[in-house]
Amino acid sequence: MSSTPASSFGKSPSGRTPGRTPRPGEEPVAGQPKAMVYICGECHQENEIRSRDPIRCRECGCRIMYKKRTKRMVVFDAR
Amino acid sequence: IPLQSKLPRVTEPSLKNLTKLNYGKPEEAQHPPIQDLTRPHVDSFNWFVNDGVKLLAKGLAPLEVLINNDRLALSFTDISVEKPKIEDGFRNCRTTQVYPSECRQRGATYQAKIQASLSFEINGMKQGTIPRCLGTIPIMVKSDRCNLHGLSPKELVEKQEEEQEMGGYFVVNGNEKVVRMLIMQRRNYPVGIVRPSWKNRGQNYTEFGVSVRSMTEDQTTAPFVLHYLSNGTVTICVYHRKEMFFLPLVLILKALVPFSDRDIYKELIKTKEDDTYFTCCVQNMLRQAQAYNLFEQKDFLRYLGEKFRIKLNRASWYSDTDIAHFMLKHHVLIHLDSNEDKFRLISFMTRKVFDLALGKCMPDDADSVQNQEVLLPGHLFQMVIKEKLNLWLLTLSRVVLRKATAAKAKTAIPGLSSVLIQNSMSSVPDVTSAMSYLLATGTLVSNTGLGLMQFAGLTVIADKLNYMRYISHFRCIHRGAFFAQMRTTTVRKLLPESWGFLCPVHTPDGSPCGLMNHMSFLCEIVTHPPSNDAMLPLLNRLGMLSPTTSEVAGFGKFYPVILDGKLIGWMPVHQGHQAVNVIRCKKARGQDNVPITLEICLIEYTGKPTQYPGLYLMSQEARMVRPVMNLITGTVEMIGSFEQVYMNICIIPEEAHKMTTHQELSQHSILSAVASLTPYSDFNQSPRNMYQCQMGKQTMGTPCQAIAYRADNKLYRIQTPQAALVRPYMYDHYKMDNFPFGQNAVVAVISYTGYDMEDAMILNKGSFDRGFAYGTIYKTDLIDLSSKVGDRTVNVTFGTNPKDDRFPDLNLGADGLPAVGQRLLTGDNYYSYIDHSNSEMKVVKYSGQETGYVDSVRVLSNNAGTGHFKRVSIVLRVQRNPIIGDKFASRHGQKGICSQKWPMANLPFTESGMFPDIVFNPHGFPSRMTIGMMIESMAGKSAAMHGHCYDATPFTFTEDKPAIEFFGDLLTEAGYNYYGTETMYSGVSGLEMEAQIFIGIVYYQRLRHMVSDKFQVRTTGPVDMITQQPVKGRKRAGGIRFGEMERDALLAHGCAMLLYDRLLTSSDCSKARLCEKCGSLLTTMIEKEQDGTHVHLSEQKWICRACHTGDHIVLVDIPFVYRYLVNELAAMNIKTILSVE
Repeated sequence: MSSTPASSFGKSPSGRTPGRTPRPGEEPVAGQPKAMVYICGECHQENEIRSRDPIRCRECGCRIMYKKRTKRMVVFDAR
Repeated sequence: IPLQSKLPRVTEPSLKNLTKLNYGKPEEAQHPPIQDLTRPHVDSFNWFVNDGVKLLAKGLAPLEVLINNDRLALSFTDISVEKPKIEDGFRNCRTTQVYPSECRQRGATYQAKIQASLSFEINGMKQGTIPRCLGTIPIMVKSDRCNLHGLSPKELVEKQEEEQEMGGYFVVNGNEKVVRMLIMQRRNYPVGIVRPSWKNRGQNYTEFGVSVRSMTEDQTTAPFVLHYLSNGTVTICVYHRKEMFFLPLVLILKALVPFSDRDIYKELIKTKEDDTYFTCCVQNMLRQAQAYNLFEQKDFLRYLGEKFRIKLNRASWYSDTDIAHFMLKHHVLIHLDSNEDKFRLISFMTRKVFDLALGKCMPDDADSVQNQEVLLPGHLFQMVIKEKLNLWLLTLSRVVLRKATAAKAKTAIPGLSSVLIQNSMSSVPDVTSAMSYLLATGTLVSNTGLGLMQFAGLTVIADKLNYMRYISHFRCIHRGAFFAQMRTTTVRKLLPESWGFLCPVHTPDGSPCGLMNHMSFLCEIVTHPPSNDAMLPLLNRLGMLSPTTSEVAGFGKFYPVILDGKLIGWMPVHQGHQAVNVIRCKKARGQDNVPITLEICLIEYTGKPTQYPGLYLMSQEARMVRPVMNLITGTVEMIGSFEQVYMNICIIPEEAHKMTTHQELSQHSILSAVASLTPYSDFNQSPRNMYQCQMGKQTMGTPCQAIAYRADNKLYRIQTPQAALVRPYMYDHYKMDNFPFGQNAVVAVISYTGYDMEDAMILNKGSFDRGFAYGTIYKTDLIDLSSKVGDRTVNVTFGTNPKDDRFPDLNLGADGLPAVGQRLLTGDNYYSYIDHSNSEMKVVKYSGQETGYVDSVRVLSNNAGTGHFKRVSIVLRVQRNPIIGDKFASRHGQKGICSQKWPMANLPFTESGMFPDIVFNPHGFPSRMTIGMMIESMAGKSAAMHGHCYDATPFTFTEDKPAIEFFGDLLTEAGYNYYGTETMYSGVSGLEMEAQIFIGIVYYQRLRHMVSDKFQVRTTGPVDMITQQPVKGRKRAGGIRFGEMERDALLAHGCAMLLYDRLLTSSDCSKARLCEKCGSLLTTMIEKEQDGTHVHLSEQKWICRACHTGDHIVLVDIPFVYRYLVNELAAMNIKTILSVE
């Protein structure tokens, strides 16, 4: 049990390239499930996660993902 | 343990740690004093996982059942606890280890498997063992089984923990839970007790008894009480499954040993041969036992076994004698293995109970720490697991029985195979839920009772409000929930025996006062029983006589020697002192394998009624011990709470006298970790120090360093904290600068503007604008869609449906979650989720009353890493900068409410142009007598002027070297007035004030009680469904009750209309139609339409159904509840008639 098989370790599962990361808030292509980018809580790798994907880092298997900070303007009480 | 390291290494506070070059870099090793704070918790858990589980396998009696004429015996051979790992089968990850930080953030439980080998025998033939996982149990953070064990501060920080993480708690469902330490009766020590309620136990029973809380090394408890009866006999009370059984003394004695009546008599009357009353009573008891017509030991055993056969529920093939032996082993003085030892201890207790009843010795005080020990988390775990495993075996045996019987009926082959047992095991519930339930709720479900007094409130959440509150959870010792209900105050009293063990200052006032205590900062608890094998040979060399010898005779010539509840011999009186001195020297020096935590206590014969004389030696676990300096050996010695009473310990060398043998390590060693942080506490009136201990724990401060990796429900944080300029050196001892919790404020003691009346204080608006006492609350919202949607089969995830045009201004990310950094106002869209079966989107709005900023959004998986997009935790940041009505306090129990933020220009200023940050009313001083605050003010001022950090440790200044003189001189040197006063000018007129104003620097804490959480205001709002009256509660926008006393006040003033307004008009006023003729509220109704024509509302006619007329109907104002009452009464067949004039 404790031995970790290296089958999919470090590699991204087939069909998905983690290289191209859409900007947060980017409009998803119509028809495709919306993918957003999250940061792994352990290795800080950026992960694309669609709404039906299991939640875990493809790089290290971490089970907590952080949402990226918004690029929208967050200045509020501008006087 | 290197005892010398107990001494605080720092003796002077300094601010150098703030300017050192590697500031902010984790240190090489963790700081021992901080680790010591949770040591009782961590070490006791270590004992459980390393030693305890081994004893479990040994201590669990094999479970035996008769199945199809085969004798099946089930037992555990090997039990072990693993380290927390991810679930089996989930593999695509870098490490299989699970760390506490993940569990906290994911709301999971930090747990590991407990593995065992089940061995089974059929007809006494060993059949083999079956390995089996018994479930998962929560693992204490930083224990041996924790994945953080042994990590360096740098590695800990990498694992998202605190640099000085000290563990001691469990992570259960994301909450940090601490097992409360509870006071217990000292184990294996016969205490003489006078308890009036014992008289009700039966005829002739008196209030006198000797009780032993007998405990084996695997923490199994069996209470045992010897009762004195007024007819001069003694009965024994034993417990089985919370049930009491009373047995005559001689019955037990005769069953225990094969001695003749004469030998039993001689042992019983040892040293009391001349006491004719006692000897007669013993003779009488032996004579009475003749009535049983039993003569030999085996007769008594058979008799006893026959009586206990049903209750003990042993396998049917055991003889009565076997059952009697089992009963004696498991219910009579279980801490002793041999029956002869039990016999001797019962004899000793018999002598003690007679002496107690006849007033020859004093009762032991059950409320004094002398006779108490502490229930530790590891020991509680051991007890509970043992019971649960016993239950597991029992359930297994029942399942096996059922399956085997069914198999036999089918195939006629008795199927007692390992396959059958293995199959049966899968339908036995494991211990997982029982243990996590215990920790999550603090409620213990137990059928044996485990010798505990309470079964609820065993755990508390380790609240990370600030560091002081956090550490005090681990130092807290509770007397037991049972005593909170008690009307007498005796249990709450501060007794001199607790000196150095329990802090006299650090206890809350109010209902838990004196019941919830905190350990002194040097106090420790023995967690591992040391080996005491060396004691018997040593004592024999020192002149102890064997317990069987017949030399021992005569009163006052020999001390019984009792080691851990076993009478191991008799020490001649003249050799007693010498023996004690020798043992103590060996203990203090750590020689000859004498346990370093051994308690050595000689209670001498004085001829007066004292505690029962004897030489008592105690080495077992769960005792409170503390270090003191042994002046004879010159080493640090750990002393216990029993022996301390009979020791001569000086505090400072000057007060030593010729009897003195020991000295305190420091003058403030009686204080707890939190109480020792109060500066100049020796100058304050004592209740003020108690208040500070409470208020320090309510301060907004720096809860932890790893705020980004936490998911606590609420975290309070102060934005601009400072290191205290004036501090006791304990600040540095505990590295409090890592968790600062206040600001050095310039405080002017002046009555100015009138807004500082009655403990109010004025905040300088300029200081506020510069960030004084700014604070933030982090609120974590854990959203689990599966709990939101009742139907499990419905597939929902977070997300948005762009095609759905019902929400044009959604303002959420494509994942249906708010943007990190976004501002959330009440009613804003919070998150949205999609039902995948029909692509329907639902939007949930932010319902909080306060504006929050999204600090982080975490998407959470499950234990296996296969979780869907269903669980998120959203951290919101809520700004809480000081406003009028917020609470502040200095470190001297001087709390106050901010009443105004006064413009700086209008505040008084000093000659040098200084404005105060806080204006404090001078009336706060005379009655409170917090001189410590004045000294802190002067010390703070000189610290600021000289750039030095001054020590505020209590008991450093004396009459000859007063603090005033020291700081007065420093202030003079800095060019200030000797007394810390200054000339001030009015901020309004600029005129010089006549009075000299005391102004200096005081460290101010901001307390977590804020008006924003408390204000309650309502004009109109929700009303109760039934009564139509306004609801209560701030959360529901309810009103504040206008109660009976308020009503009385208005009545007394004659304010009838005001009363009418409050209680009727503004409450549940309603119009009602009443028939004046019959006086009924209920019979009036709209007349039925005669011909089906619709009648307009204004033309409807009201009639009384009882009187058949509408002529007497009047419209009146009544409270709506009254109508309700009348209806309820009618339902009970009670008629209500109102007479209206």
